[in-house]
Amino acid sequence: MRPLDLTEKDPSKRVTIYFEGQPLEAYEGEKVTVALLANGIYWLTTSTGGRRRGAFTFGPVPMVVNGVKNVNARKTAVKDGMRLERQGYDDFQENVEIDEGKPVLQYVVDVAVIGAGPAGLGVVKEIGGRLTTAIIEERGWLGGDLKLKGVEQEGFGDPKEALNELSDLPENTRVFLKSVAIGVFDKGEYFLVPIVRGDQLIEILAKRVVLATGAVDNIMLFENNDYPGIFRRSDALEVMNVWGVAPGRKVAVVGAFPEEITAELDRWGIEYVVVPNPKRVEGNEKVERLIDANGNVYDVDAVIMSDGRRPDINPVTQAGGRLYFKRGYYRPVIDSNHRIREGIYVAGSAVSIKPHYANYLEGRLVGAYILREFGFEAEPCVYEERLKNYEPIAVPVHRLPLDEFNGEDVHICGCDVTLRKVDDVVKSGITDLQIIKRLTHLAMGFCQGRFCLFNGAVVVSQRTGTPMDKLDIPVARPPIKNVKMKVPARRD
Amino acid sequence: MPTKELPERSEITIIGGGIVGVTIAHELAKRGEEVTVIEKRFIGSGSTFRCGTGIRQQFNDEANVQVMKRSVELWKRYSEEYDFPFEQTGYLFLLYDDEEVETFKRNIAIQNRFGVPTRLITPEEAKEIVPLLDISEVIAASWNPTDGKASPFKSTAKFAIKAEEFGAKLVEYTEVKDFIIENGEIKGLKTSRGVIKTGIVVNATNAWAKLINAMAGISVRIPIEPYKHQAVITQPIKKGTIRPMVISFKYGHAYLTQTSHGGVVGGVGYELGPTYDLNPTYEFLREVSYYFTKIIPALRELLILRTWAGYYAKTPDSNPAIGKIEELSDYYIAAGFSGHGFMMAPAVAEMVADLITKGRTDLPVEWYDPYRFERGELRGQALQMG
Repeated sequence: MRPLDLTEKDPSKRVTIYFEGQPLEAYEGEKVTVALLANGIYWLTTSTGGRRRGAFTFGPVPMVVNGVKNVNARKTAVKDGMRLERQGYDDFQENVEIDEGKPVLQYVVDVAVIGAGPAGLGVVKEIGGRLTTAIIEERGWLGGDLKLKGVEQEGFGDPKEALNELSDLPENTRVFLKSVAIGVFDKGEYFLVPIVRGDQLIEILAKRVVLATGAVDNIMLFENNDYPGIFRRSDALEVMNVWGVAPGRKVAVVGAFPEEITAELDRWGIEYVVVPNPKRVEGNEKVERLIDANGNVYDVDAVIMSDGRRPDINPVTQAGGRLYFKRGYYRPVIDSNHRIREGIYVAGSAVSIKPHYANYLEGRLVGAYILREFGFEAEPCVYEERLKNYEPIAVPVHRLPLDEFNGEDVHICGCDVTLRKVDDVVKSGITDLQIIKRLTHLAMGFCQGRFCLFNGAVVVSQRTGTPMDKLDIPVARPPIKNVKMKVPARRD
Repeated sequence: MPTKELPERSEITIIGGGIVGVTIAHELAKRGEEVTVIEKRFIGSGSTFRCGTGIRQQFNDEANVQVMKRSVELWKRYSEEYDFPFEQTGYLFLLYDDEEVETFKRNIAIQNRFGVPTRLITPEEAKEIVPLLDISEVIAASWNPTDGKASPFKSTAKFAIKAEEFGAKLVEYTEVKDFIIENGEIKGLKTSRGVIKTGIVVNATNAWAKLINAMAGISVRIPIEPYKHQAVITQPIKKGTIRPMVISFKYGHAYLTQTSHGGVVGGVGYELGPTYDLNPTYEFLREVSYYFTKIIPALRELLILRTWAGYYAKTPDSNPAIGKIEELSDYYIAAGFSGHGFMMAPAVAEMVADLITKGRTDLPVEWYDPYRFERGELRGQALQMG
């Protein structure tokens, strides 16, 4: 077994890959980032500002693959003999192959559901084949975050069994896995939802759209919070429960919701320490120790941020939805039918933070609303009643010890936007988040703010005294997920 | 930066806090005038922060060449004085047939006459300037190394901060609702946050200029309509990869360059409107990707980070309306920039400040006469891209 393998892998799938010339064991089907982690390699790429970066915190993971630069390692599967090298974020491939590309595919459906977590699947199950649906999922599996769980889930029980049940989809359902929706465009008669699967552009034409686009893990602010070896909760769960690889042999858990990860660490027998007040991470190429606000030093080889999740507001604002601030997060304004506007519904943790099962119920609820809109018999009130048992979870907005941090080492954003950069602009008297964004490039990089906008807002709010609900929050623009220019460049 | 309180009175009030309004305020305040800017959202939020960043003197008529020559001088001076990014990295027009070359030869002659050092270069020379170019179909290029680009964010913010240091007041998130006029004289403005007493008003609202003109109740017809234009930006790549603004009329009236932050930015001539809608469209994403990758094939493998839309506030001849409106005392307009507001702003500020403080200006402001539409004296179409 490799240094961080938790499970025995199928020997028939064993291949050899080369990282910076060094041969390593990998298994067919593994993602590059996971195969390297299993071998104890955390530092994969380098930001424009010269910061070492891993694959599990934030920021893109461009690598040189078989001599080709700027390949997204997160979405690349290993192949026997594959040669991998580190690169800088701003390295790019100057000589490119020019091909015609693949013809654009088109599908017409009644309902397009973006996101195949419990909420998205709930929508499709409720519709039950009475309308034609397309369900679009960025990851390679159905079930979203539920797939990442190894321990019993409230309402669902055993997550594997629940997943099997949920993945049994009715007829008239088209499933698009490993596919990202780049936006929702209003065409009057219908909505156009362009999706990208690999290099393939697919246009979904739908009468109704459901955003079941989920939430994102909070990024915590402390010194060197961008070091290789720092994991978002969801990534730590994925490497363990999907790939059978440990984030580290001894890890620190930080954040307001440690229990969301500690039970899983226990299950795998991974040694951990819970540190409530992280101040700084240190190490050479990766995390070697964590220092807390009281000066305690913890020797660990990984840090997991388990600080709760907040709705991903980008799909909502791109589609024309408005936001309000409640329970510690920005969330979509919805009407009595769970719509952000005519024709566009929202369900699951894209609406509010709650258990998987509640998200599933909310998906069923939205499915029922849609059925009713199309003239079918449906009983949304059943789900409305049951959802009353689930008060959305409040997520604490931390009061940051801004003046105790060395702001240059605290990264708000994977694109080298430091706390110092934002703070300096605020201190110069510019207090409008919209202008601060443009002067610092906060929320203007690869994630369009998915991981950084909230923390930027917290800093501005804290420094200026403007309440979070009074900030002018920038909206997301298409493509809401990065797409290579050659994909939409195809001309028929 | 912004003064949040609406002042009770101000000698001069500028409606619109884009680059034009802010630089006019800066120029007036510097000259010791009492001036207030009223902006309905935040500084730059209308079209300035959505612009393509380019600043060029390669126009096709004498007036715009002269005004832009002055503007570039001011861009250079203020970027040095105030420390914001303005780079003279040139404009490179790629030319693909004899007719295009002839047109540009005529333009170059006009530009040279006013000391703008544009010249015709070979495709190979163009490729030396931007090695990633596909020049297989290019037969020549029009090149002026003194054109350039600036950060709309940093420049506007700096002009705003300096304007305030000179005593100007910048009031954001405040919308002008109506004029208070007595006997043909402006007495004040009604805003969403109360009344401001003022005697001189400058309409610097570009895409919204016709609404403000309507509130002012002027009868002269100044046709300015908002058209939606969109832009794209890619992931940042090594700085200095695409230094000049590259233009290709053959490929979609495209313009593209690299920002000081490293991303490749630009747009194509895909226009929608008149409309106030600013939602980016899928069609633009397709068009811009197709054309950009024709001009620079290496862009194929770059990630698109986002697209956005802004306004070209267009007049029938794509030249702005700048001047004093005689039927109302005292009302000035500087609007309808048709996609050239950012680049022209410092010179426009000088012209408008001259008109207000001296009643005349040395720059050829008559070319932009707001009465020309009513008189049927349209100018030649200003060279426009995107």
